[in-house]
Parts: sequence; structure tokens; C-alpha cells
Amino acid sequence: MTNGWNDIANADVILVMGGNPAENHPVGFRFVMEARLKRKAKMVCVDPRFNRTAAVSDCYVPIRSGTDIAFLGGLIHYALSNGKFQADYVRQHTNASFLVKSAFGFEGGHFSGWDGGAGAYDKSSWQYELDAQGFAKVDPTLENPRTVFQLMKEHYSRYTAEKVSEICGCSVADFHKAAEIICSAATEDRTGTVLYALGWTQHSHSVQLIHAAAMVQLLLGNIGMPGGGVNAQRGHANIQGATDMGQWNMLPGYLRIPRANMATLDAYLRANTPRPLRPDSLNYWGNTPKFMKSLLRAYYGEGQNDFGYGWLPKIAEGADHSWGYFFDEMHEGRIEGLISFGMNPVANGPNTAKMLTALAKLKWMIVVENFETETAAFWNAKTLAEKDYPVAGQPADIETEVFLLPASCFAEKDGAFVNSSRWLQWKEAALDPPGQALRDQEIVARLFLKIRDLYREEGGKASEPLMAMRWDYATPHCPSLVEVARELNGRSLVTGKQLNGFGELQDDGTTLCGNWIYSGSFTEAGNQMARRGQADPTALGLYSEWSWSWPANRRILYNRASADGKGQPWDRTRAPLRWDGTRWSGDTPDYKADAAPEAFGAFIMLPEGVAKFFTPELVEGPFPEHYEPAESPVDNALHPEVSFNPAAKVFTGSSDKLGTRDEYPYVGITYRLTEHFHYWTKHTAREAPSCSRISLSKCRGWPEKNIRNGDQVRVTSARGQVEGFALVTKRLRGLNIGGKTVYQVGLPIHWGFVGRVRGPLINNLTASVYDPNSGTPEYKGFLVNLEKV
Amino acid sequence: MKATDQKIPRFDVAERVAHWLAALSFLYTALTGLALWSHKLYWLAYVFGGGAVVRGLHPWGGVIFVAALGMMFRRWAKQMRLDAEDREWLRQSHKYAVHDEEGLPDAGRFNAGQKMLFWLQSCSAAVLLVSGVVLWFPETMPRVLRLAAVLIHPLAAIASIGGIIVHIYMGTAAVPEAFRGMIQGWVRPGWAASHHPKWYREVKARSGKH
Amino acid sequence: MTTVAKLIDTTLCIGCKACEVACQEWNDQEFTLGTFDGTYQTMPDLAPNFWNLIKFNEFERDGQLSWLMSKYQCMHCADPGCLRACPAPGAIVQLKNGIVDFVHDNCIGCGYCITGCPFDVPRLSPVSKKVYKCSLCSDRTSVGMTPACIKTCPTSCLTFGARDELLRKAEIRAETLRADGDADAGIYNPEGVGGTNVIYVLREASAPQKYGLPKDPTIPWTLSLWKGPVKWLGSLVLAGGILGTFFHYIRFGPREYKDESDRPENPAV
Repeated sequence: MTNGWNDIANADVILVMGGNPAENHPVGFRFVMEARLKRKAKMVCVDPRFNRTAAVSDCYVPIRSGTDIAFLGGLIHYALSNGKFQADYVRQHTNASFLVKSAFGFEGGHFSGWDGGAGAYDKSSWQYELDAQGFAKVDPTLENPRTVFQLMKEHYSRYTAEKVSEICGCSVADFHKAAEIICSAATEDRTGTVLYALGWTQHSHSVQLIHAAAMVQLLLGNIGMPGGGVNAQRGHANIQGATDMGQWNMLPGYLRIPRANMATLDAYLRANTPRPLRPDSLNYWGNTPKFMKSLLRAYYGEGQNDFGYGWLPKIAEGADHSWGYFFDEMHEGRIEGLISFGMNPVANGPNTAKMLTALAKLKWMIVVENFETETAAFWNAKTLAEKDYPVAGQPADIETEVFLLPASCFAEKDGAFVNSSRWLQWKEAALDPPGQALRDQEIVARLFLKIRDLYREEGGKASEPLMAMRWDYATPHCPSLVEVARELNGRSLVTGKQLNGFGELQDDGTTLCGNWIYSGSFTEAGNQMARRGQADPTALGLYSEWSWSWPANRRILYNRASADGKGQPWDRTRAPLRWDGTRWSGDTPDYKADAAPEAFGAFIMLPEGVAKFFTPELVEGPFPEHYEPAESPVDNALHPEVSFNPAAKVFTGSSDKLGTRDEYPYVGITYRLTEHFHYWTKHTAREAPSCSRISLSKCRGWPEKNIRNGDQVRVTSARGQVEGFALVTKRLRGLNIGGKTVYQVGLPIHWGFVGRVRGPLINNLTASVYDPNSGTPEYKGFLVNLEKV
Repeated sequence: MKATDQKIPRFDVAERVAHWLAALSFLYTALTGLALWSHKLYWLAYVFGGGAVVRGLHPWGGVIFVAALGMMFRRWAKQMRLDAEDREWLRQSHKYAVHDEEGLPDAGRFNAGQKMLFWLQSCSAAVLLVSGVVLWFPETMPRVLRLAAVLIHPLAAIASIGGIIVHIYMGTAAVPEAFRGMIQGWVRPGWAASHHPKWYREVKARSGKH
Repeated sequence: MTTVAKLIDTTLCIGCKACEVACQEWNDQEFTLGTFDGTYQTMPDLAPNFWNLIKFNEFERDGQLSWLMSKYQCMHCADPGCLRACPAPGAIVQLKNGIVDFVHDNCIGCGYCITGCPFDVPRLSPVSKKVYKCSLCSDRTSVGMTPACIKTCPTSCLTFGARDELLRKAEIRAETLRADGDADAGIYNPEGVGGTNVIYVLREASAPQKYGLPKDPTIPWTLSLWKGPVKWLGSLVLAGGILGTFFHYIRFGPREYKDESDRPENPAV
């Protein structure tokens, strides 16, 4: 979240799209209700399903799954063509005025630079016109046809309300009603927030989708404002923390992982430290050397050659090891072992049959879990659910050696949860883990120490990084999380004192810091994450003394943008920051605390110094464009010849099949129920009683009239099948897509072939199609058929 | 044999067993019913083992009562039919109440009052049974039936109990020796001739034929 | 003592069922699986071990779907039909703060309260043969705590407090809703049972049935008749019968007879 849960209460308009907070974040939804009670906020819910959020919204617009960009593009067009955007904000705080190279263009579904042979874009034309100093040229009047503003206007001129209706299946009137409410936040005294979750991230164009939402919010002047922002609602208590601590392509704190062509630390820093693109850009990522060197100190300690950079694993240039790719590698037999720690890929990865086949090719697998999950029991799938997995191997034929290590659950661990608001909230363990279960850090530490011992005793290839790893915890086999938290915060290697924040990081090796964005969370003053102060001096619900929020305890990201170029807040009644002539006060400024308003651009993390409508970084284009899902019931109405995201990777292995709209005429959507928590509650049927049953939602007006509530039905896709009870409901409806009625099938995901309540794994149906930027599977909007059993 | 030693059989064993089964179950059911009927009489529930026990057994008491009554019904239903004389008797029953029996038609084995009691008990038992079953299983019965039953059950019980009070009075204090007829099964000829002259004549006629 | 109440603002209910879980947890209820009836309702109806149910009702008007969710439980009536019907003294009590509570030690399981309740709330357990319903957490409220459902409600749909205050609050909320275009918004606090200590704010107050609430609940007339005139009649019959026969005896004495068998002309049989 750019803002935070509490901050939703400051909104005047709430757009819920690609998420269902009333059902999946009911506790956070209190702030939506608070906004409605106290500010009379209007809520718009755009979703294929009339869900619990829709039930309490002021305006519900049904759309076909996978067409969100068309809807948001329509909003952009509506705002621009009706003058319903905050012009001063756009001029001051965005790259609308930047000039783009003349070679850039968009035609027939492709942006300029498309290389059909390579299946990728040459992005050299997606660049700004630079002046002699290397700064981007701008036209503050926004009138030059090569400005981002004019290009954007032209790009979205195709997204008329009629086109939106044709693609999404909503009525023009509904679209207009929603657009009017949403764009009412364009005035300076009104702000709107956007709440989303997996309904946006699980598409083959999800990053572009969220970018489109950011564009809408920038046009309306809602970024950096209390009650504004683009807010991702996280699905697990600590999923934000998991992201902060790194992924396959990221080191902690969103530092890019080294590639094979960056042999030295210097080469790495040169490649990954951005240059400012405007003279007034603070360009905070220019501090990358400080962050990286302090991280390396945390890994390898002092006195190492090149900070120990040489020991960091490096990924081949251009290689992708995200979920889809590494399971594909595994499927092709190129991976030997897997540690699945708090992760259940068989259940939550797409195309279960492919997952099962892939795991069977491993030599060994370690599963660390509270329960025996589908992943731990994958070898037994044939026995447990033969009907669903006709191609799975017989247990006797699977040679993968599986180790199931009992883990502890949340109540048995201390440490911090990082919630959607980026708050690090420290908690204590309530219980000891039962039986042989160990706390996570002990499992990791014991594995590490044992492996290191084995290398010491028996030798082996490339053991140096292991031997060099700093491991000076008081109890090496079970580091306390306080120690780890102190290490993440960082300390000075000169004074030995804890750092007060990342502002104190140095690039000369005198500081150590495990995650620069967490710096400030555990200072000499103590554990800031355990704070429970309830003071709220701004009366905006920032609660700056409650726990600690990254970065720098900042509650609203980009909060400098809540004021104009002179530091005057857009809305005096809702100012998170105030400039008194010498300093900024209120929230932790997302700015230099003592720099004058005119000194820098408001978006200090970006080389541009301003927010971006035009983003050359993304894989499939600098502007979001509507592409159909990989499996779609219709062709792309904007450019039928380039229907699907051209830059998205579609796997074509033996387990990867895509269905045709003739065979599989309906659109499938996965979703979650309030009554369940992912794939956990099926293990504890008593504790989560409600809806302990399998159901599929099927929409009204369905062609096969003979299916009734409670009937056993079979849903099939090109990948597999599931069976369950039908729930026939008016809450899903047939949509008119360019004259054709498209029906949708909702598929709640919570079951699997192990647990106390068993049912089909919905991912039997989903496809191995991934967003090219994030690697997230397309779980929403795939083709299925449905029949009565 | 002295005439005073003469015993005229009044009720045979089966009749007496049925009657007393009905009487005891009625007593239990009525008293426990009264306990549940009014908070002021709830002390009766403690006498019979507490409210929960009473709630559990009261319906069974009712079932036994109805069964015993059924036995009596099979036995007596024919004899209980009202004839012209009975109706005449009923018209003049106020005279019976004040012991002025001049002009009253002679009673048979059962006088018209007894017959009326019989029919009153039979009808109210049927109503009590049906409404009682509704109240017995409240969770399975439709609400409208339950609402009717809460009214009908006590009404029928009031009628039944009212009748029984008179019956007990008549069978004990008011008509000496009647009780023996139901306990020991016989009455003296004088008693029979006085209270049930018509029946007495029939008995004598039957025995004369021997 | 102040009368307490629970305010349910249905416009804020998101059907998350947290109140159901809190109720089950606090009251330590064993859960039995319900049946699938094509709705999101946990159970089709209340049960002896399930006292708090979110009802889900769908309605369509002019092509607009509305999906109404509202909490259903004991209404804690000012004039409780259950209490009127209950034959066991002390089994149902109306506390001074207005809570209508079942005292299970005194409950005899007759089920009359089920019949007496205009809201069809109490449920008879076939196992314990006792009747159960929401107690408004009288065990919590008696020590100054908030009822479990209210404590857990994430959206402030549920609030607890002094009845007068909540009524005022509800009136203000309904007023606001009306001003914002919901002309039919209002309060559900039915007079037929003397008002309830569970008060609803409804967007469509003229059609409470849409929320699963009875339109004009009253104490059933058969119950009133039974507890009134029928009772007097019964007492009359009982007392009249006993006294009447007694005085009859005093006045007229036993019905003597002349023993005919004493007469010589009447030979022995």
C-alpha cells in the first residue's frame, strides 16, 4: 500500500477493483465503513462477481474477468476528455511534460520496437528526448505533441465508453456512473483511494494493470494524499515482509540481484545506480552503493575483498527464474532438489498436473509445514484423487525423496509481521511449538550449519560463500529474532551502535545493514516495531508511534505530492505534511526534511523526480494496453490480430495446453471465501466451520437450464477437471461482449486432496501463463466448460 | 344367605383395572399438568421429582391415561349411548342434584350423568392427546399448530378436570358404597335398586332365568 | 439500572460472520456442519448450539441486485413472549438491564418459549433437553464487558450501550440515510413486543421481511388468551369444583338408600 489501512478512512471516493476487501479483508474494511460514515465516501465496486463488497457499494459495475485495463483506460480517457483531472498536480508532480523520442509509437496492438522473431521489444524508442546534460526535455505547457501528456491522450482516445462496454461487458450507463463518481476526486478538496488484491495481480498483464490504476490516481491528484494512493491488500499476515526480504531477482530492500555480466561490485553499482533525469531530481536510488555495501557487510562481515560481492550468486543475463520458469525447468528435469518452506506449490501453483509431474522429477524435496500439504503428499496424488490426476505417476514409481519438517505456526513465533500498510508490528510468541516442530529460524540455521559442516568435512564445489557467511549469533543453531531484527536495522561498524535510519548508511564499509528499508526499526532507543503509542497529532489516523512503518516510519508514501510546488497543501483540511519555511512536519516527509518545496521533485525515488505516466521499464510497453487473457472467449476488440499480451511468456511443454473457445466456452475465475484461509482451513474443519463445503458459482441465464443449486457438476479446462456442488446465483451474470453473451464460472479455491475436508484443487484448471514483469500466474480469466455429473 | 350379604357384581376385573389405570394416570397427568400450568402450582412439580422430570413424564402419563380410557371406551361405548330416558333424566338433572328424584327416569347401569362424564372424558382425552403431541415435540411441529395447542390443551384439561372433580365427589362422598363397586367390584342389591333401578331389574331378570 | 441494547446497523454489515465465530468461541459451542442450501449462510437456521446467524437474502428490483446481510439472534424484547410462555419459574429471567436470559438449571425443556417467541429464536437441544439462545453475553455484560459479537465486529455494524443512547444514535443514522437518498431508511424496534433491546437500522424499514425480520411481531394472541382468560377460567373451575362439591355435601349430604334386600319379600338370589 502506498498509504495504509487506517488511511482509507480519509477517502471521499473508494474504488474497489480486483479485490474483495469485505470478504477477504473484513477487518481492514472497517476503514472503508469509517470513510462512508464520517466523510460520506462513495464506493464503486468493479468486479465480475457481485460479491460482499459489491453488496455494500454505492455503484457496482460487472466486468468480464481480464478486462480491467480496458475499464481503467476508459477512466483515463473519460478524465482527459472531460477535463476531470487535477491539471496542476499533473503538471507539477508527473512526467506528463516530458518529451518522448519521435520514434516511439503504437500501431496495431504493438508498441514501436517489436521484434516478432525474438518475441520481445527493443525499448530504445521508449525513451525521453535528452538534452546535452543528459536530462529529459520538458514542455510545461503540455502542448507539444511529443509530451507524455499528449501521447497518453492519443493512446487512450480509443478507450471510449462504448469500447469499454464492448470489451468489459458493462453497460455504457454503468461505466459513466462509475466514472463520474471516481473522477469526482479530481478536485483538490477530494481524494479517492484504489483498493486491489489478487484480482489485479493474477493476470497476464497485471503490472500494467496496476500501472493503469496509478495513472488514474495521478490524473486525479490522489497519490501522496491522505485517503488516496494505490493500495494492495495483502493476503497473508506477512506477505509484504516476504516481498521486502527479496525474491528470485531481488536482494532485501528491492536491490536487484547481480547478473553474470556484473562481475565486480563496481560493475554492479554502475548498472544499478540510476542517474537523475532532471536537474531537480533527488534520485534517492543514487544511494544504492550505500545500501548494497551495507548489505554485503551483513552477509560477509568486514575485511572481505570487494565486500564479498564475488560470493553472491549471479544470474545469467536476461535469465528468468520466476515461478513459472523454475517449475518449467523442474518439469523438464533440470532441477535436482527443492526446499518448499511455508509454500504449497501443488495447491497454489497453476496447472496442478504440471506441478505433480515436475516434483516427481526431483531427487529430493524438503517441505517445511504445519500440516501435510498437497506438496508433501504429491507422490500420493494418484491414490488420493485418481479421478483428478489420471496422468500422475503411481506412488511406487516416484523416486523423489520427501522430507516433511514440522514447522511452528504464527502464535508460536515472535518477530514482526509486515502488514499491507508496511507496518512492522512486533509480536511475542504465545506458545512453544508442539512436538518436534521447530521455529523457522532454527530450521534454517540448523540446515545451514549442518550443510556447512558437511562441506568442511567432505569438501565440495564452491563452498567458499558458505564458509564466508557471517554467522555470529549468540545461539548459532537458533538465532533469536531480536538479533536478526537488529541486524536488519543495521549498525555502525565504527561505534557499534544501532543506526537511526538509512540516512546514516555509508558506502565505505563502515555500516552493516541487512535490509536498508528496515533501517530505523530497531535503533539504540529500542525495538521501534514493538511501539504501541496511539498519539495522532495530525488527526489523519497516521498513528506514527504505533509500531514502525518502512521506509523511515513514513505512513503515506509520496506525501510530498500532497502539496503543490510551493509547499501549499492541495487540501488544507487533510495535509500530512506542512512546510513552516525551514522544515516539514507531520508525517515523515517523503522528501529531504529541511529542503525547500521548490528544491526537488516530489518523487524522490525516481530518476525523473516526478511520477510516471510513461514507464519505459515495463516489458510490454510504456503505456498499459488492453490485451485479452491467454484463453479468451473473444478476440481483442482493439486489435484482433494482437489479441494477447505479445510479451507474455506462454509455456508450450507437454503439460501446457491452452483451450479453444469452442471447446471451453465459459470464463473461469478463482476466488476466496471469507469463511476460509487459503489452503489451511481445510485442515481444521472444526475451527473454520462455515462453508466447509465445495461450491462453484454459476451465473444466471446459463444455457444449460437443468443445473440447480447443490447439483454435482464437473468443470473442465484444457489442463484438467474439478467436481463440486453448483451454487446457482444471480450474483454472476452473463455479459454482453460485442454482441456475444459470455458466461462466467466462479471457483473458490480452498480445497485439495489432503486435509480434514477434501475437495478438488481448482488449480487443476488454471494455465501456466504468467505476467512477464512479475511472474504471477493468470488465475483469473481462463476458459472452462461445465457439465452436470 | 342373608339378603344383606347379597353381592351384585357391578364391575368386573378388567373394567376396574382399566378404570384405576386411567384414574392414577389421570391424577398424575392432571397434577403435573397443573404444575406446568401455573407458577403458583409449580410446587407440585417438586413433589413429582422436579420440573424436568415432570416435563419428561407428563406426556407419558397422558399416553397411559388415553390408553386406559381406550380400554374403557371399547368396553362401554355402546352402553354409554344416550337414549330418550337419559335425555329426560338430563333435563331434570337439577332435581337429582338436590336429592329430589321424583319423576326422574330410572337409571340403567350408568345414569345419564355418568354417560355425560364418559363422553366428556373421551372427547377431552382425544383433544388432549392431539394437542399434547404437538406440545410434546415443539421443535418439529409447525408454529401455528403449537400456538393452537397452547390454548386448546389447557381448555380441554380444564373441562376434563372439572368433570373429574364431580366424578370423584360422586364416586366417593356423595354416593356411599359406589366406591366399593369400583374397588371390590360388587354392590348391595339395595344400592343397585336405589341408584340404578333399571339395571337392577335387568340383573335380577337375568339371574331369575337361571 | 440502565437498560442496555445492541444496535445492528445493517447498512454496515458485510456478512463476514466474525460475530458468528466469536459467539461460538465465547460460548464454547461444538459446531455441527450445516447443509448446502445455495446461499452463503452458515446454517439454514439458528440451532441449539448456534445462536447468532447472518442471514443472506437476495432481491432484485429494476435489474438492480441487492444482497442483504443481517444478523439474527434473540431480540431481548421488553415484553418477551418466551418469558410469558415459560411454565418453569426462574428458567427465563429478564434482568434489570433488559437482557432476557435462560437459566438452564431451571429449564425443563418444555419448549413453550419456542412457541411464545414472535421471532422464532429459542432452540431445544435434543441432547440436553434444554432450550438455548443468545444471552447477550450476560456473563460478559455483568462484569462490564461488551458482548462477544459486538467486541469482534470489524465494521462497527454492531454497537453496545445504553438503550436510549443507541436509539438516538440509530435515529440519527436513519436520518442521515434518508437525507442521502434512502427514503425508506428507518429503525426496527417493534412495538408489538414492547420494543426490543436489539435495534436495527434498515435501509428498507418498511420491508423488514427482506432482512428476515417479522413485519409486525406481537405476542401471539393464543398465548395471551391462555395466560389470561383461560387461566381465570381454569382457576374458577378448579376452585368452583372443589368448593362446590364440598358445600354440596355439607348441604345435601350423602345419597342414602333403603336396602331392599332387608325386605323379606325380596328373596335372596
